[in-house]
Amino acid sequence: MGEVWLIPAIPAAAFVALLLFGKYLPRRGDWLAIGAIAASFVIFFPVLIDLLDNLDQPDFTGGGRAWEWVSLDAFNIQLGFHVDQLTIVMLAVVSFVALMVQVYSVAYMRGDPRYGWYFAMMSFFAAAMLTLVLADNLLLLYVAWEGVGFGSYILIGFWHERRSAAEAAKKAFITTRIGDVGLLIGIILLWREAGTFDISEIFEFAEGGGYSAEYLTLAVLLLFAGAVGKSAQFPLHVWLPDAMEGPTPVSALIHAATMVVAGIYLVARMLPLFELADPVALSVVTAIGLTTVMMSVTMGLTATDIKRVIAYSTLNSLGLMMVALGSGSVTAAMLYLFAHAFFKALLFLSAGSIIHATERQDLTELGGLSSKMPVTSVVFGIGALSMAGIFPLAGFWAKDEILNVSGDNQNWVVYVFMMLSVFITALYMTRLFVRTFTGRPRNHHAQEHAHDAEPMMTVPLLLLAALTLVGGFVAFGSVGEALGFPGGFGEFVFLEEAEAFHFPWDVAILSTLIAIGGIAAGVYFWSGEAAPARRAAQSLRPVYRTLANNYYLDDAYQWVINHVVLAGGAVIGWFDRNVVNDTAVDGSAGLGVFAGFGMKFLETGKLPNYALAISLGVIVISIVFLVVSV
Amino acid sequence: MEWVLFALIALPLGTTLVFMLIPSRYSQLVRYTALAAAAAMFLMSLLVFIRYEFEGGSGLRFDLQLDWLENIAFLGENGITLHLAVDGIAAPMVLLTGIVILAGVFISWNIDYRNKDYFILLFALVAGVFGVFVSQDLFFLFFFYEVAVLPMYLLIAVWGASSNFGTFVRTKEYGAMKLVLYLVAGSVLIFIAIFATFTEAGQGTFDLPVLGEATYGETFQKTFFPFYMIGFGILAGLWPFHTWSPDGHVAAPTAVSMLHAGVLMKLGAFGILRVGIGLFPEGAQFWSPVLMTLGVTGALYGAVSALGQKDLKYMVGYSSVSHMGFVMMGLASMNSIGVTGAVLQMFAHGVMTALMFANVGAVYDQTHTRDMTAFGGLANKMPRHTAFWTIAGLSSLGLPGLAGFIAEIHIFVGTFQAGYYWAGALGILAAAITATYILRMLASAYFGPFNERWASLKEMRFREQSASVLLIFFIVFMGMWPKPFIDRISETVNNLPGIG
Repeated sequence: MGEVWLIPAIPAAAFVALLLFGKYLPRRGDWLAIGAIAASFVIFFPVLIDLLDNLDQPDFTGGGRAWEWVSLDAFNIQLGFHVDQLTIVMLAVVSFVALMVQVYSVAYMRGDPRYGWYFAMMSFFAAAMLTLVLADNLLLLYVAWEGVGFGSYILIGFWHERRSAAEAAKKAFITTRIGDVGLLIGIILLWREAGTFDISEIFEFAEGGGYSAEYLTLAVLLLFAGAVGKSAQFPLHVWLPDAMEGPTPVSALIHAATMVVAGIYLVARMLPLFELADPVALSVVTAIGLTTVMMSVTMGLTATDIKRVIAYSTLNSLGLMMVALGSGSVTAAMLYLFAHAFFKALLFLSAGSIIHATERQDLTELGGLSSKMPVTSVVFGIGALSMAGIFPLAGFWAKDEILNVSGDNQNWVVYVFMMLSVFITALYMTRLFVRTFTGRPRNHHAQEHAHDAEPMMTVPLLLLAALTLVGGFVAFGSVGEALGFPGGFGEFVFLEEAEAFHFPWDVAILSTLIAIGGIAAGVYFWSGEAAPARRAAQSLRPVYRTLANNYYLDDAYQWVINHVVLAGGAVIGWFDRNVVNDTAVDGSAGLGVFAGFGMKFLETGKLPNYALAISLGVIVISIVFLVVSV
Repeated sequence: MEWVLFALIALPLGTTLVFMLIPSRYSQLVRYTALAAAAAMFLMSLLVFIRYEFEGGSGLRFDLQLDWLENIAFLGENGITLHLAVDGIAAPMVLLTGIVILAGVFISWNIDYRNKDYFILLFALVAGVFGVFVSQDLFFLFFFYEVAVLPMYLLIAVWGASSNFGTFVRTKEYGAMKLVLYLVAGSVLIFIAIFATFTEAGQGTFDLPVLGEATYGETFQKTFFPFYMIGFGILAGLWPFHTWSPDGHVAAPTAVSMLHAGVLMKLGAFGILRVGIGLFPEGAQFWSPVLMTLGVTGALYGAVSALGQKDLKYMVGYSSVSHMGFVMMGLASMNSIGVTGAVLQMFAHGVMTALMFANVGAVYDQTHTRDMTAFGGLANKMPRHTAFWTIAGLSSLGLPGLAGFIAEIHIFVGTFQAGYYWAGALGILAAAITATYILRMLASAYFGPFNERWASLKEMRFREQSASVLLIFFIVFMGMWPKPFIDRISETVNNLPGIG
């Protein structure tokens, strides 16, 4: 199977076709977009089988292929594709979730005036995301990285008539772009010493001691800045909750399952460099990840928009994956990424069904939906329990593995905070479920016509729910072997040496008890009229307000933008106009005019004046000559 | 094929004569004549680009040498000749000029006031621009340089627009005068340096290939390189000699802004490369840290200034200062990646800034304001216009797949390779600031709820769309398949003296 490049190329071709001819196609060409991503999903299987057949060959590139795009001296950008285990996991996630989301979108986006444009951009995004995971060199990865960012920009701002959507799109692009400044500098720094962008060649160069430790540490931390932006880690996480302005299927695909995990993928891919660098690099990864976790779980407690709560849970999950990577475990991070893609897409798409049915998305207007939307409530519950880490759902196995590896690191601060986050996660996911589906409806008007969505939307939900139920078992060696893999997830996804999945009972039991405690507390606080929750909010007013205002980070950033960035722009603009131009440029011109004005008084027109000037001149010149010659 | 370069200069000059024969009441005939001539120029420039033959070395293609003055007075063999040729640097620039003039004629269609005189001046300007790019004779290079600059005065002072910004007023006369006087000041420096070069070489000729073979003392190079650097740099918007540019753009009519930012500013950068670096590599090496500092300062300063603007044309004008700062960074890197990037950026910026000005003009024609805060939700009324603006903006902020990225990545890589880590990092930061001002503008003027004040707004006219599509084609083409550009440019750049 040497045609891996077809996987991104087919959706790319679909994008071009939809852009040019979309409005002439029946149904605006939605079938073309779905057909393209389905084709990519189908091609994924021979690629997978090919990889399994060749696992023992170290130089196997999965039928990768490269075309020269830019070539100038040492500066080469290849359109190079490469398949390994890490890529395979990402390919599976991206192509499957993209397919599910696009099928779901047919019903969800029906009747939208820009229906065709939506599917064109979905194809564009899929092409860029698939290129990102297949790229064999850092610059192509960067190209795709910016490409998914652009797709996200357009799709967040898809309903750009809404001021909030336009602002959210802008915020997402600019915030991630700040991280990308670091990413690009880091890539160029790696290139400068190694003379190549090729990832495996950079690894060889680094293992040969090509980079000094400080240089490599700086470079990987700059790469990590890119991941912080894209994967919405503290302090650049602020764009992700706002990004919920996009259509809900977009949130499911881009802001849960695929694009936001690109940063995780990047760090996982480059982990050998992080390990060669100073240990401080991985400590930074852990610290940033843990901060993100703690901030997001607490913010999840107070948010009332159903999509924003799920967005905070995404931040929570992304932070957990970063903690896993900070502990040096690609397996744990990728297992969580794999499981998360399914249950988070499930949560978002179920939320989409709720929004579609009720046209409301604020918890204060929902409630009591389980009788109206039984299927949705069950699949949503599965997703929520998986997020909370309850046995035997996918999220349980993945989260436990992260707890294990962070516990292995002997860092008790990390471990304690991780356990605390498990409790709060269960707490706010319970709150979300309880406030949405149980109790009495708070807005009867919204509930009147609510019902489970049509099959076009429900089938993807059921498929994702099924995967959430069983997906976690891929962690086990025997399950993997039964499916034809050389062991479990851990043995499959390795970079240097096999990293087996391990399952200490003590951690599992402890985390399960904590999660159940969280659920129980959630039920206590928020069921019925949620009186205990109100009392808690009343008595902890400053805490509540801090959380409800997202730790005032958005306000702080806005202040910096208004009073530093934009004010700086205004000051420089003023300086340019008044100092550089009006003073220096016009001033020097005015000086010329003034000099001319002064000189004109020498033009008296009287012969004696001129004769005097000539005589004086002769005398001066004579004196000068005398002085010089002597 | 040697005739093609001569024809490229002769055609616009000849067309000005044709215009003079057309009675000015036939304004439609004037327009179609202009369109036909511009289309012919575009095709010829395309021909020059496509038929450029790779032969290795720094060979000159389409080489044509017509004697003018020799063996008299101070002139020796081949003293002053009309020596026309293109190399890999000039070929994309010729193409750029062809593209922008064709788009400019489309945009100039609605000039009603004395449109014959307008086109005469515009075509004289274009003849000068082509002349600079293809001249291999320093005398004619300077001659054409002046031919390109001077019509600007009348074009802005007669067909331009004065603006009152509340706190300050910029009249078109002021903009025109400042622009031309400033550029003439640069010409004085160039003029001095040309005679110094001629004398030091002692060959009795202005022929550039001959001058390039001559040897110049190190002190001489270090003394006179700044004359070229600043003299040409003024036209390239080199910080801090850039202030003619935003005011000039604000005053100029749309098509003049397009040519001006799109092509004319490139003459300056081209001059630094062809004459400054080409003749005085050691001088350039010595001054490159200064050029790098000025370039990166301009890139950041322009971007931050653009962030502070409300007027669309000022924003684009400052963004030009910023992007020309990238060109300076590329030149200052003095290695093949960076210098190639500089030439790529000249092309990329030329096309995308022309597109930006064309789009500003399309809105201004209908609304008579350029204040971005006065708009809102224009995407509802002008979806295609919004798409064009977005593409221009995305190219400008360096989105992969569009021309700006290809150019900027070369410049950044070249800058890092030359060891200017700080400058490379600040340059990348400037590109991120570009994203900020472009997206802020799009969000406030084009997205969000529609401002009913503009209910009568219509989509861009067909000819304006044609111009935009032409420009976008090249933005996407270069972004997707940069190889034809890179191969041509690098073939020549690698043979320049002093380029590591």
